[in-house]
Amino acid sequence: MQEFTWPGRAAETELALDLEKAALRREFEQRLKECGTLAFRVARGVLRNAADAEDVAQEAMLRSYRRFAGLRDPSRFRAWLVRISFRLALDHGRSARRREQRETAWATDLPKPTAEDIAASNEFGRRLQEAMAELSEKSRLVLLLTSMDGHSLEQVAELLRLPLGTVKSRLHSARKQLAEKLR
Amino acid sequence: MTCDKYENALLAAASNGELDAKLARHLERCSTCRMTLRSERELFSRIDSALRAQVNGEPGPDFLVQLRLQLSKEPTARSGSDHPWHVAGAALALVLIAMLYPLMNARQSGVQGSLQSPTIKLPQGAGVRQSARAAEDLGVRSRHHSKRPAVESAVPQEPEVLVPPDEQQAFAQFVACVARRDAIAEAVVTPVANKLVTNTTELPQVSSLELADLELAQARQEEWVDQPGNSE
Repeated sequence: MQEFTWPGRAAETELALDLEKAALRREFEQRLKECGTLAFRVARGVLRNAADAEDVAQEAMLRSYRRFAGLRDPSRFRAWLVRISFRLALDHGRSARRREQRETAWATDLPKPTAEDIAASNEFGRRLQEAMAELSEKSRLVLLLTSMDGHSLEQVAELLRLPLGTVKSRLHSARKQLAEKLR
Repeated sequence: MTCDKYENALLAAASNGELDAKLARHLERCSTCRMTLRSERELFSRIDSALRAQVNGEPGPDFLVQLRLQLSKEPTARSGSDHPWHVAGAALALVLIAMLYPLMNARQSGVQGSLQSPTIKLPQGAGVRQSARAAEDLGVRSRHHSKRPAVESAVPQEPEVLVPPDEQQAFAQFVACVARRDAIAEAVVTPVANKLVTNTTELPQVSSLELADLELAQARQEEWVDQPGNSE
């Protein structure tokens, strides 16, 4: 047996839902610029490619929008966004690498770089990326976030919900590993 | 040649920029370690600047426009009540019910199965029909099927009379006796025209002593009423 509802009550409920949706949309819009850049930077730190990073950041922002009702707390939202951006960028990088390997499978091995080549900045960047790819994901994320402007160690610890000592330790270890591989 | 014992301190100094006094004194004397420290600092500096250049770029001008366009195609953000924990909780409850239901059924049928053996077996031959009827009236049921479906076990049944095996014969006689008494009572209550009374039926006897007591009590009551002092 269907329960009777007043027509006015249904309209009120619908109106309240619309208002809530509009409020959520406004709130998300306010965070769009700041957090969009954050997502882009995290993705770019992994991918080194602005176009790919934009795609990943867009995907991360769309996902965060779908989950925004449960992520309205700003610190929680930023932490979640950083993680999802990082994860998506890693996945994107892996699939891109697989694609690249398929396309260049026929190519012969390149000669080992000389000291002059290493001195070149693009070569250094490539080697840096290789070295970073060998880092653990945890250390890598700490390294990327601490390299971002406006992110102190304390802020990174808060963002990742880690003790400050853990962040310092991971950062030190990551830099040391990078230096060993690039020396 | 770099002094080995200062290697870690040199790396820490290059990485953090902190120079302790002991290492500083050593560096004043050792040119090789000074060179190493300089090159290590340069390396860390290059790493940091490369990382900063990598992560501090700005997205293109179309980034936010594209993002807003994508968002406009998205359905509205879910409300808080659609939290995934609610779905997970409901799924867990369903799984628990599905797991416990057969267990409870098995337990119930197990209890009934264990109680099957001591039930009464009604005697064969004369008077069996009557005894069986009486047994049915009292809720005694003979079981001819050892197995029952699980659904049937869930249906409420009449109460069973559990009789130890060595007392089954005596109990069957008792049931038959009760049945006969029922027949007598039925014969007394039912009018004669509608009831066929057999020769074996005995009518109940009322003793004269009971009648005398009743008369005496009635007489005393009349005496008490007739006394003049009792009138109000």
